[in-house]
Amino acid sequence: MSTTEERPMPAADEPESPTNRPGSMHLVKEWLQRPYVRRILWITLAITAVIIALSFVMVAFMNQSGGPASSIMDEIEKTMFVLTIACAPLMAATLAVLTYSWWGGWGSVAAADEPTSDGPGIKTNGVAVVTWITVCSLLAGFLVVWGLVELATITSSSYGSVPANQQPNSVKPVDVNVTAQQWLWSFEYPDSGNIQSSVLVLPVNVPAYFNVTSLDVVHSFWVVEEGVKIDANPGAITNTGFTPTKLGTFNVRCAELCGLHHAYMETQVKVVTQEQFNSWIREQGGNKTS
Amino acid sequence: MSTAVAIHEEAHVPQPTQVGKPGGFLRRTNFLTALISGVVTAGVFWIVTDKITTAVAGAGATNSMALPSGLNINITMMYIGWVIGFMAGIGAFAGPIRWFLGHDLTHADAEYMAGKDMGREKFWKFTTDHKVVGIQYLVVTLILFGFGGLLAMLIRTELGATWTEVFNPNFYNSIIGTHGIVMVIAMIIVISGPIGNFIVPIMCGARDMAFPRLNALSIWLLIAAVPPLVSNLLMGGIRDGWTVYQPLADQAPIGMIGYQICIITFAFSTGIASVNLITTIVRMRAAGMTWSRTPILVYGILGSSIMGLVWFPMYQYSQILALSDRTLLTSFFVPASGGSVWLYENLFWLLGHPEVYVIVIPATAGMLEYLPVFVRKPLFSYRLAVAGIFGVVGLSAVVWVHHMYMTGWAPQSNYPFMLSTEMISIPFSFLVLVVLGTMWRGKPWKRLPMMAVYAVVWNKVIGGITGVFLSDTPVDQYMHGSMFVVAHFHYMLMGAGLFGAMGVTAYFFPKMIGRYLDEFWGSVGFWTAFAGFQVTFMSMFVAGLQGMPRRVLQFDSLFNVSNWISTIGAYIIGIGMLIFLYAIIESWRNGILAPDNPWGGKTLENFTTTPVPHENFPVLPVVTSGPYDFGTPDPYELADDAIMQQTEGAEKVSAQS
Repeated sequence: MSTTEERPMPAADEPESPTNRPGSMHLVKEWLQRPYVRRILWITLAITAVIIALSFVMVAFMNQSGGPASSIMDEIEKTMFVLTIACAPLMAATLAVLTYSWWGGWGSVAAADEPTSDGPGIKTNGVAVVTWITVCSLLAGFLVVWGLVELATITSSSYGSVPANQQPNSVKPVDVNVTAQQWLWSFEYPDSGNIQSSVLVLPVNVPAYFNVTSLDVVHSFWVVEEGVKIDANPGAITNTGFTPTKLGTFNVRCAELCGLHHAYMETQVKVVTQEQFNSWIREQGGNKTS
Repeated sequence: MSTAVAIHEEAHVPQPTQVGKPGGFLRRTNFLTALISGVVTAGVFWIVTDKITTAVAGAGATNSMALPSGLNINITMMYIGWVIGFMAGIGAFAGPIRWFLGHDLTHADAEYMAGKDMGREKFWKFTTDHKVVGIQYLVVTLILFGFGGLLAMLIRTELGATWTEVFNPNFYNSIIGTHGIVMVIAMIIVISGPIGNFIVPIMCGARDMAFPRLNALSIWLLIAAVPPLVSNLLMGGIRDGWTVYQPLADQAPIGMIGYQICIITFAFSTGIASVNLITTIVRMRAAGMTWSRTPILVYGILGSSIMGLVWFPMYQYSQILALSDRTLLTSFFVPASGGSVWLYENLFWLLGHPEVYVIVIPATAGMLEYLPVFVRKPLFSYRLAVAGIFGVVGLSAVVWVHHMYMTGWAPQSNYPFMLSTEMISIPFSFLVLVVLGTMWRGKPWKRLPMMAVYAVVWNKVIGGITGVFLSDTPVDQYMHGSMFVVAHFHYMLMGAGLFGAMGVTAYFFPKMIGRYLDEFWGSVGFWTAFAGFQVTFMSMFVAGLQGMPRRVLQFDSLFNVSNWISTIGAYIIGIGMLIFLYAIIESWRNGILAPDNPWGGKTLENFTTTPVPHENFPVLPVVTSGPYDFGTPDPYELADDAIMQQTEGAEKVSAQS
């Protein structure tokens, strides 16, 4: 702290010598030429590549049971990629400094010994602090903006600010009343004569709109491969929706602990063609098809 | 304490006269009398309440069961009786009662209570000395971790045995909830309790905490709070997870009352401890210890105490209201009678999220505290670290709704709370820069505490990136309530919190116990647990990505492999933790004796003898320099400075330093 007093102040009447002045990028260039900086940057680059590769692995795991089966799930997976790639360089830089120090790039003192000398007395570094705060804030800002836009996108394609059944769609959506109780799901199709089912059957490429409620405790209606989840609350109706884009059988699971047999509170969602859906409705005794 | 009395004598303030031996009633109280008194009082409360509820139930009633909530009322009163009886039996009320009766505690009584010249029995008594309280906290924490860890092993055993139900679902759900809440309580106190009570007053240069009797009250309230919680396993269990969402909790057996009484009591304990720590830190720092010379651990404990003090009451209210629903048949959270489940969720998460920072901030600050000692460099950008801590404290107040993105409570609120949640990563990034900057070009001394820093930063990076996923509402729509969340918060709470606490404990162990923690067995235990931790929770991330919901005991065969790996990893953690526990116990008894300054640090606790004497310092210290004045002049910077001086004069240089 006291080093400043020891330095000679330049005499006030001494003219500055402009010929001596290094370029403004001088410090950065000098810094980038330090051997340990170069090594850390290389490690950063390598770790960044690994993290980006890992994002593919993560999404592969998400798709293991047959997804993505809706545009919402597509958006979610895209967001996973973007978030990982955006954060990767900063994560990698952190891990690179960590690795370099741990490997003893700057030397180390063995556990059995005791340190004999102090390291460089770097108290702070204005450039580093300002750069770091700026980069982190910009990154966080980007994540927020991306997230808000994505949220608006999936909201408009699920429950939206206008209920799906009032939106100007070319196809009429399928309404389903979802009722959760300990420990089973039941689905009611109000447009088709209130037929009941324990398995969710939906026509492909037709928007489905859900009114979710519970008879007893809080459950959570999770259609895994469609990327949709909403709590089923007693005494309230919550809404969600999606448009299935893939034929097949997917999973509905309860994602909120709801008592003894929470683990077994799961069922299937069968995404079928419109014709199959119509005949299924007739089989169930529905009086009207959509 | 002694100086205060000296001043009083000079001013001729009348002092209470000593009657009988110092300590009086407190000479006869200890942990055993507290247990007996607690059990007896609980029994008396049960019998009296039973008589009253039977009478209230009306003519013809033979027992309290005739009343709709009769049993609940009896159990509640029994637990309240336990807490009151236990506290009376330990002697917690002796001081106020003697003041009320007109013969207040004398100086000799106070010294007796502080455990002066007392042997090991002081650890079993209502002792006010902050060092004794610190050790008591340490032991209680170890017991809680042991119990919670055992439950974790049971949970993993069930999940690893994918072909059968090892436990019945009720017991399984109960151990999930009990594991959660026991570990949360243990994590909340693991730094603020042992280190906060033992080290912080010494680090501040004080003779004791601001309110020594409140200090003893906080630890014994905690000890009184734990048995009701643990007893739930014998009384039907809590089977609701640690969040005990309503109205599921309302259906739970009477074990739930144990949980509620525990939380209500524990919240008092935390509030009292927080007030004590805040007052000590703000008012009792040594002469010359300005806010710019206060060690960063002290800031961390201050921030954590502020959050605990402000937010714990929310959790306490939620449990008081839930208990009232159960016993008085009110309907705060019963939807059938107009209550709201969302009200409960809000009250719960108003503490539930800041609690994460209550856990992580002291662990991080403790790490920042000793990092400069091990690289022999100043803490990089001390002020940025302080800004980071208080940035997190401030923002912690406005992020709780991210636990409720998928509840349907208020879909529009997902937008602002996603914003605030992402914003909290900025003050956290300050702390990351401080760690990296301090490591930068330093020669690490590869002792266990230093190694813990590497482990914790690694865990924090992984916990951080997965936290970014979860804070993003669209991704959370997939992840919420899945194993991914479980793995994420274990990376933060256990990976950053517990492993950080292990490092911090290893660092302060020589000062607290007088002996070094065994380097070999400590490291073996630490790294075994760390390796097992990566296996367990990396694999759990995979289970979550595949779509496995949390808190289940049977699941789709798709998740089998990841759960088998997780279970193997969990057993490795268990072995590692046992080795670490062995290192603690062995070092406590036979470790290498520590000198006064075990690590060559520059904070005040290194300037008193080891073991720390009664009242800490023979003469109160005066602080004349910062806590991290390590380091030699930097050759690179000298070269830079020379250039700068030639060109721009000394202005820039003085601004840098």
